[in-house]
Amino acid sequence: MDRECVALLPRVCEVLAESGKSLPDDTSLEKLLDWFTGLAKAGASLLEVCPCLLEFISTVIYNTDADPSVLSFTLKLTGLMAASEDGFKMLKECSILRQAYDIQHWQDAGLWEDPCIRIGWIQGLRSMLQHPMALHFLVETDFTRHLLQLQTDASLFVASAANQVLAHILVFFQPLSSDDVEKKEEKEMRTYACIKAPIAMDTDIEHLAVAMETSHEYIAVTTAISDHLKVSLVPKENAQFHQSLQSLKLLALLLAQAKPPLEDTLLRTVLGSLEALVKAEYSQLTLPLMDVLLTACSHCNTDEHVTDQTVSCLLSSMLDTSKPSDLIQAAAAVLRRGHRDIIHSAKAVGILLLPLDIITGQTLLSTHSEEQRFSVEELLKSKTSCISMLCVSLMNTPQITLMPPDFLPCPPVTVVTAVLSLLRICSGHAPSSSIGSSKTCRNIIGNGKVQRCGLEALTALSTSPGGKEKMSEVFTVLIQYLQNPDSDPTVIQKSYQALVKWMGVCTDISSMRDQLTQDLLEVVKKRMCDMHWEVRDSTVEFLGQLGGVCTSTKPDQVVCVSEALLGCSTVPLLIEALCDSESYVRASTISALAQTLAHSWQQGAAVTQEQTDIVIRLLDILSNDTEGFARRAVVQYFTAWFSSYSSNTLPLSSSSSSLLMKSVHSVLSQGSADLDWEVKLHTLQLAQLLLDKALPGLQGSRLDSDTHTTPPTPSLNNLPHPYAVGSDQAYTLHTHTGAQTHTDPAGEGGCRESMEMDLADAVHSLVEQGVVSALLSGLVDCDRPVGLKACRLLRTLRDTICLQDTPAALATATRVACELPGSGWGREIRKILEKKCDWSKCESEEDDSVCVGVYEALRSLGLDEKLAILTQSSDHVHNSPLSLLQDILSTSDTHTQPGTQPGQEVIVDCY
Amino acid sequence: YKLMMNYCLSGHPTLPCNVLKFKSTTIMLDCGLDTTSVLNFLPLPLVHSPRLSKLPGWVSKDGTVNLEKELKECAGRVFVDSQPEFCLPEKELLDLSTIDVILISNYHCMMALPYITEHTGFTGTVYATEPTLQIGRLLMEELVNFMERVPKAQSATCWKNKEIQRMLPGPLKDAVEVWTWKRCYSMQEVNSALSKVQLVGYSQKVELFGAVQVSPLSSGYSLGSSNWIIQSHHEKVAYVSGSSLLTTHPQPMDQSSLKNSDVLILTGLTQMPTANPDGMLGDFCSNLAMTIRAGGNVLVPCYSSGVIYDLLECLYQFIESASLGTTPFYFISPVANSSLEFSQIFAEWLCHNKQSKVYLPEPPFPHAELIQTNKLKHYPSIHGDFSSEFRQPCVVFTGHPSLRFGDVVHFMELWGKSSLNTIIFTEPDFSYLDALAPYQPLAMKCVYCPIDTRLNFHQVSKLLKEVQPLHVVCPEQYTQPPPSQSHRSDLMLELQPPPMPYRRCSVLSLPFRRRYERIHLLPELANSLVPSEIKPGISVATVSAVLHSKDNKHTLQSVPKPPPVPPTKKRKRVIEEPPEVLAPKPLLSGAVPLEAFLATLHKHGITEVKVEETADGHILHLQAEDTLIQLEEDGTHIVCDNNEPLRTTLRDLVLRFLQKL
Repeated sequence: MDRECVALLPRVCEVLAESGKSLPDDTSLEKLLDWFTGLAKAGASLLEVCPCLLEFISTVIYNTDADPSVLSFTLKLTGLMAASEDGFKMLKECSILRQAYDIQHWQDAGLWEDPCIRIGWIQGLRSMLQHPMALHFLVETDFTRHLLQLQTDASLFVASAANQVLAHILVFFQPLSSDDVEKKEEKEMRTYACIKAPIAMDTDIEHLAVAMETSHEYIAVTTAISDHLKVSLVPKENAQFHQSLQSLKLLALLLAQAKPPLEDTLLRTVLGSLEALVKAEYSQLTLPLMDVLLTACSHCNTDEHVTDQTVSCLLSSMLDTSKPSDLIQAAAAVLRRGHRDIIHSAKAVGILLLPLDIITGQTLLSTHSEEQRFSVEELLKSKTSCISMLCVSLMNTPQITLMPPDFLPCPPVTVVTAVLSLLRICSGHAPSSSIGSSKTCRNIIGNGKVQRCGLEALTALSTSPGGKEKMSEVFTVLIQYLQNPDSDPTVIQKSYQALVKWMGVCTDISSMRDQLTQDLLEVVKKRMCDMHWEVRDSTVEFLGQLGGVCTSTKPDQVVCVSEALLGCSTVPLLIEALCDSESYVRASTISALAQTLAHSWQQGAAVTQEQTDIVIRLLDILSNDTEGFARRAVVQYFTAWFSSYSSNTLPLSSSSSSLLMKSVHSVLSQGSADLDWEVKLHTLQLAQLLLDKALPGLQGSRLDSDTHTTPPTPSLNNLPHPYAVGSDQAYTLHTHTGAQTHTDPAGEGGCRESMEMDLADAVHSLVEQGVVSALLSGLVDCDRPVGLKACRLLRTLRDTICLQDTPAALATATRVACELPGSGWGREIRKILEKKCDWSKCESEEDDSVCVGVYEALRSLGLDEKLAILTQSSDHVHNSPLSLLQDILSTSDTHTQPGTQPGQEVIVDCY
Repeated sequence: YKLMMNYCLSGHPTLPCNVLKFKSTTIMLDCGLDTTSVLNFLPLPLVHSPRLSKLPGWVSKDGTVNLEKELKECAGRVFVDSQPEFCLPEKELLDLSTIDVILISNYHCMMALPYITEHTGFTGTVYATEPTLQIGRLLMEELVNFMERVPKAQSATCWKNKEIQRMLPGPLKDAVEVWTWKRCYSMQEVNSALSKVQLVGYSQKVELFGAVQVSPLSSGYSLGSSNWIIQSHHEKVAYVSGSSLLTTHPQPMDQSSLKNSDVLILTGLTQMPTANPDGMLGDFCSNLAMTIRAGGNVLVPCYSSGVIYDLLECLYQFIESASLGTTPFYFISPVANSSLEFSQIFAEWLCHNKQSKVYLPEPPFPHAELIQTNKLKHYPSIHGDFSSEFRQPCVVFTGHPSLRFGDVVHFMELWGKSSLNTIIFTEPDFSYLDALAPYQPLAMKCVYCPIDTRLNFHQVSKLLKEVQPLHVVCPEQYTQPPPSQSHRSDLMLELQPPPMPYRRCSVLSLPFRRRYERIHLLPELANSLVPSEIKPGISVATVSAVLHSKDNKHTLQSVPKPPPVPPTKKRKRVIEEPPEVLAPKPLLSGAVPLEAFLATLHKHGITEVKVEETADGHILHLQAEDTLIQLEEDGTHIVCDNNEPLRTTLRDLVLRFLQKL
């Protein structure tokens, strides 16, 4: 611990103990506690390091006028200090423990009403309960009873924390089976936990005594809690649902972590109550009850135990409840928890498919009780319950189709058919013959919620077995949804997503061509002119994603779906969308263009007039667009283009290469001068690619220095979208088709030419391309991420140059010079250089540009120090404990000094 | 009791014409003109069309019937080559000269007015709001103008011969009532008909002959559109026609005043129940932008008032985002200028949002700005200025939506051959396939975005739940799902009790009988009454008076005293004396309490009483006197033979317990 902090702490404690002194802000106490927790975790004894804390605590706990937040903090701190056995003993000796945790004391002072005192009490207790002495204390003071009361506290946080502590006690101190002990002992020395287990031979008598006592106390606590659970699980009257709910949550928490002896005890005690609860069929408790039963079931290994059998029976009765709305919730829980018992799962599947069966008239279920069917039918007539049941049912269909066939009442393809006909009903397109009850259909025709759920289900069903048979029908329904003028923007978006997914699994796109091409093109053109920008946005996104979807008719022949279906209409459509009034749409359009053109870039096709026009348009956007999204997308477009170029096995046609390299220069110069820091960062990523290409040897060193904080490079397949998800498609492509530059030691393919290049030429070309300027201007950028990235890259460049094997090579390399402009970043760099070395000699006018040797400059810029500074977060000073303590002191000062005005705060500009 | 009757004269649910007979008044509700009949006619081109003039005439297959002059064949269908004719409301069902008043709900529902007011002996009054009258006049003027601009000398009548019509191909074969179809009226008839209109404002109460009161309510569908309340003191009929709950330009619908009606006549629901207007507007805009971007022209056949205001407003917002700023928009109609200007001045008829703009420098509708910035240009016709300023690609709004007359015919001929161009139908009144039939084969793209803001079934069932009429009367089309979508049970009215459906020529006697009538008491008669309170707050008095009825008003007057008998000297025979008017016996009310009555009997020495309980009361057997007293709910009988004093005593005892009036 910092000496300065130690020096300040006593004064801070004084300030805190004096009531009425306000704190810098309401998080100070939490930060302080975090700091102490960190110290304790690091192994320091708080009492030794900060002896003043003891005095602080003993003062505060008697001062009932203190601020409740300080009291709460004190309680938590006390618990933290008592977490170690030594601390506990010390606090106990000073009789601080009893006083601090005396509920009566806080009640008399009228402070117990304040939830922050109660939460402090609970959390303090939670921290303390790490050793047998604490358990002893708990039993002695009968705190278990209070904790059980707090379970139903009016404050949700208090109630939940009470449950957590109760679970912690039973789980933490639980007796271990012999296997566990052996494993445990290898790892840590927690002898006091060995209660029933054979005690290790060398354990001394004292430990044994402690263990025996602990065992006794543990049993007492276990009995108290499990008895309480037994009684409180079944609500006596309607008002007690809260209590039952909390007990069920606690039980679920316990069962999830309990080892066999504890688990058995618990289950044996509460089984009767659980049975009663299952019989009572309380709707409010269905889900938590299912949670408990499924947790219990997941631990059952065999059916030999009586308890296990009973639990299984209870689960069966839950799946037989008479209320259909509860039933479907219970069935969904079975599937959600991945329960793998054939009887229960098959039953749950039947329940979940029933609403679909009834509404669509598809026979999904061969047998089903008429009674259940009737009650579900009745429920489906009401609009709200119909929609919620259907949504639950739909959400589970994808998982259902993936289950083993003997779990299913029908082939998976029938489920797909049912979802399709439900979607048709929702849009009012179903033929009357195929429909169940007309009253039910009324509830869902035109309903956006069911439509969305249905489309999501359909998207997920694309991978279900047998789905391929339905391909043509799926496309028809989806196109219908896209055409429907009443579909809302989210429905359209989901339809597009489903379409992309299904096209991705379509093995023979040519057979679909006739069906799709005309309608799809028509509807896409229309949606590109939609009034809602969300629709236009999802349309261009769709076009982009389509560009990334490839199918193969033959193993060796990969067909791009976009080209197969829409021919060459996609790019003109997207070019038009570049003029969209909404910046999001423009940004998505640029990403979509990159995704669409990726295919032709891969194949090294010659550049077309169209592509040249696109480049002109994009550079225009980069320099003139008012919105950052679009500009970021432009830089990423070139990054993607360049990375597909460098990872390409085929030689890039010269026209394409020259166009790319020509534009890269403008992108670098404009991008690094942009106002948006993300644009600058993306520009540096492009610069990084250029570096990689020019100096193929530097990967290793760069990657080492670059692993954690900077985002991965685009060729690592992870470039973030301009503002949303889904643009990584363009980069996915070349990871499996390209030659993967990074792992290609021989530098075959695209890298060969650069390998042959001499280092000096390489550096020279970097200067020419504007990479070095971009990096230097990034270095002095006021945005930290930009500076950091630039600094790392410059360091790499410097190291590569100085690692030259031969002095001759080094000499040539060091002769390369670059130009520093007389203003802006150039002047900043010059200032640094002037400070670092003898630069005053360089006689040049202030505003004239000068030439400097690249290597010399790199060496003189102090990159390593710069990196060290930049790596620290900008608020590292303000986040230090010292700063926190100082803040607390200074705030208290301003409060005691009269003349200061309270409103004078430092306004920090942060983003 | 008098029955209330409803005569239905029109089969078109959105162009209704009903007659309500109510309390001796005869009220016509709307006067819609079914113009779908014009689809059977050839278009009237503004300039000579070689294509149309070259169409072959129709001759029956066996050659026996030759109507080459009257019927022309185009793309497999047969059209009448004559001035288009309209299907009028039924004139034979009742004598239209007996109609007292006509209530108009909106400008689309008054187009048959000249036919009713001018040639039937009508002498009554027409009631409508000011925008309805003014815009209705514009629409009529436009219609007359369209027709008179290209007069056709001949009038085809042979095909209407029943024998011949039977042999024609459909849909001519199936056209009904063709003999009643009439050519368009003249401007003079329009002026005369509209001179009979009396203007009313929303919620203004108009007394009709003292018997009923009618009052228009805002219906939210178009400028000045109204629903009507027709009520007497005890009955209320609501007439709902062409209403909308969407917030477009007109004042919102007044729903609360429709509450508690005995009968609600429901017409004018949306003709496009499956097409949501918002979705259609979006579709309209995107199709328009798509065509323009591809270098094509867009033709929007429309009426010169109504939905076009909303279309222009929507486009106003859309133009920027779709970068259509440079595309010219043309609005061509003989009344274009008036329509655009009228809409800006009917302040009190606009929705609140727009109303407030009337008082600002900014005009309420954004089309003013479109005109100022030269993005929207309007012309009376394609002749004149338009031809010199016409630039393509462009968007043209023009009439008539049937594509049979008006400037739209010219654009169809001009643009129909190119697949770059698009025609977008927004008016729901005509089937677009039928409208396009005489232009086939057609290369032009065709988009159907019918925008109908009238109530849909979902909204109407909510509305009815709220206003709770006792009975609903509606066109039979609303009581079953549309024939093409028989499974859409959500596209019909389901009510309890079920609505009463009607069709053309139905006569319905409405299911409520008038039970009460308001009667006035003259003050002196009122003074003479002696009320007695029978229950707290309820007093009763007997009245003897003479009922006087005139002009549906009823008055009770005192009975004139008989003229004093002139004194005679001779004493007349007793038998000749006028029978003495006995004071009427008091009316009795109340019940005889058994226990108390027995006690009273006991006091009067009657002790031996056997009480027998019967279905309606009790029989008391006074055994000593051999007398029976039957005490029943609505009567008391004393059966007592030959003992008059006892009977009188018993009677007086019973009367003690009863109240007398």
